[in-house]
Amino acid sequence: MSVLVANCPSCGAPVEFKSGQSIVVICEYCRSAVARTDRELKDLGKVAELVETGSPLDVGVRGKWKDVPFELTGRAQLGHEMGGQWDEWYATFANGWLGWLAEAQGRFYITFQYPIPEGVQVAPFDQLHLGQTVHGLPWPTPLIVAETGRATALGAKGEIPYLLTPGETYYYADLSGVDGAFGTLDYNQSPPLVFLGQQVTLADLGITTTRAPEKEERRVGAAQLSCPNCAGPLELRAPDKTERVTCPNCNSLLDVNQGQLQFLKALEKPWFQPLIPLGTEGQVPEGKMMVIGAMARSVTIEGTQYFWGEYLLYQPQIGFRWLVHSDNHWNYVRAVPPGEISESTKSASYQGKRYRIFQDAQARVECVLGEFYWKVEAGEQVRGVDYVKPPYMLSKEVSTVYVTDPRDAARTKRATGEINWSLGTYVEVPQIEKAFSVSGLPRPSGVAPNQPYKHWWIYKFWLAFIVLTLIVGFIAFVVSGSTKQVFTQTVTLPPLPNEDGTQVFFSEPFQLEGRRNIRVVGESPVQNTWVYLEGDLINDETGVVQSFPIDISYYQGVEDGESWSEGGQKDSAYTSSMPGGRYVLRLEGQWERWQQPAVVTVTIEQNVAHGFNLLIALIVLSIGPVIMLIYHVGFERRRWSESMFGGGDDSDDDDD
Amino acid sequence: MLKTLYTIFGIGVVSLYTVAAMLGWEISGGSRHQLPPDARQNGYRSFHFWHYGLHGGK
Repeated sequence: MSVLVANCPSCGAPVEFKSGQSIVVICEYCRSAVARTDRELKDLGKVAELVETGSPLDVGVRGKWKDVPFELTGRAQLGHEMGGQWDEWYATFANGWLGWLAEAQGRFYITFQYPIPEGVQVAPFDQLHLGQTVHGLPWPTPLIVAETGRATALGAKGEIPYLLTPGETYYYADLSGVDGAFGTLDYNQSPPLVFLGQQVTLADLGITTTRAPEKEERRVGAAQLSCPNCAGPLELRAPDKTERVTCPNCNSLLDVNQGQLQFLKALEKPWFQPLIPLGTEGQVPEGKMMVIGAMARSVTIEGTQYFWGEYLLYQPQIGFRWLVHSDNHWNYVRAVPPGEISESTKSASYQGKRYRIFQDAQARVECVLGEFYWKVEAGEQVRGVDYVKPPYMLSKEVSTVYVTDPRDAARTKRATGEINWSLGTYVEVPQIEKAFSVSGLPRPSGVAPNQPYKHWWIYKFWLAFIVLTLIVGFIAFVVSGSTKQVFTQTVTLPPLPNEDGTQVFFSEPFQLEGRRNIRVVGESPVQNTWVYLEGDLINDETGVVQSFPIDISYYQGVEDGESWSEGGQKDSAYTSSMPGGRYVLRLEGQWERWQQPAVVTVTIEQNVAHGFNLLIALIVLSIGPVIMLIYHVGFERRRWSESMFGGGDDSDDDDD
Repeated sequence: MLKTLYTIFGIGVVSLYTVAAMLGWEISGGSRHQLPPDARQNGYRSFHFWHYGLHGGK
């Protein structure tokens, strides 16, 4: 239902205000921005034709947010001062709400205007800095400044809920918070307008019917163009998004503006050869994507320049992703909202995981090939900070440029820029080869900052086996019952015939049970002397003989006023179980004081709890894990030896 | 590969320990012999047998 139908003051064509909240409507015939005042319609000037951005949205598309239906009634296209543009769609809700749906690089953010709470003073634009928390906003979680810049109203369509003046510029700051929170401070007026909301998907908005199929078809296709410098053929694989492209024929750097190519400068012959050719399609975790650009970047640390390669992947339904190739290690990288990350001096946290700082350096673009969604060129520098928690790497890039406002007569330079956070996931070389159908990629030799240690499993397995062994030991102890004494006798052996002689004793027969271990205990009241017994258990029926030694020695004294002792008056020997039956004990003894008789008490027990086997089992099970632990420590040392922050002694990474 | 090897090894060690616990096996330094049949018939209590007969004597 229309609220107001009138004629365009510029061309006389009918214009229609469907929403009572609309301030401006764009004439479909002459592209005049027609504003309604309380008395008349006013022509604010002509807006530029909308740049084809490949948006899946269109005026008239309907959706639902928080169960309230809405319709997209207008669209404004805003230009970024560093080049490029983004769209803002205006959603008129059935209950009277007015929503702002921003669209940039395939991502969507729905926001609503909020009044600034009483007593709150939002910092003026020139006092904002990237990463700063903006306090006092009516939002439950903190919001940080993720981007600052100046926007220019370029084009528009449909109905606009504010006084859009073609060519008008204003300053803004984009805010980011946890759980996809997003906001914009619009410094078009003072105090600024506050728009708060969150990042959403089209599915979240209940948008299933998007723009016309023919437009969709055109959007996903590549564009065949000619290089304005050499006239050679040039294909734009992401024509709706690309801001810069290099000509594969003459190696010129070209600016892309509304599908038109403009020669910027001739680049040197690229020394960087992508390992994955541009145009290659690969199956990444999120779907099939194409390599549309590649660049070499570097950092200089302590006078040494380190290079790595970055490959830009694109797929219209997914957006942009990166493959980063450094020291022959690979990472799959996607952007994450700055507000999701909390950062301290030496660490950063994202989604409940703590990442340790690894590197903080100025990164420089050295060489570019193919297409990019921003106005990249060699020499571009950002501050890059890497945090690691294998297999992940959280990277922050802070880009700051100094610009001059053309309206400022004093030509004062002003800092503008943005913070970009990305999350890289380590990918093994064979996975890259398989995903992109390439072969022969070089293998890494060192350890990457976020390369996961592969053998964490052994600690889990070791623990499982240890627990299992202890359980078996406990069950065996419980099941086998108590210790049973089967023989005991005190024997007095007569003096030896000479110093080297022996005396022998044979016991009366006794019974031994099968499957029960045996302990023979010998005791003798020796003082500063020794008795040695060679023992044999002889099966009277089968002739099986089990030998064992008993060595009793006990020494004590006082030295320098301190008493000491060594050995004991008792010794025992364990033997494995023997077949059940009748046995005789044979003892053949020697002792130091051979002229005197020796008194020995011998006891034979069965079913004795003995931890030696258990100890041996635990030690044997631990050999492998101990070797792997040594390797693990070396692995972490190699990892952190590459860090400017060192100290990799506590390895807290995951294997999953 | 390493995982499989360690799993097999670990199961082997735990199994061996279980069998040892069930059958009363011990790791000991003593040796086990079999007396010759004639020694049992003729008596094995002589000094000569233990020092010169059984496996060449002790």
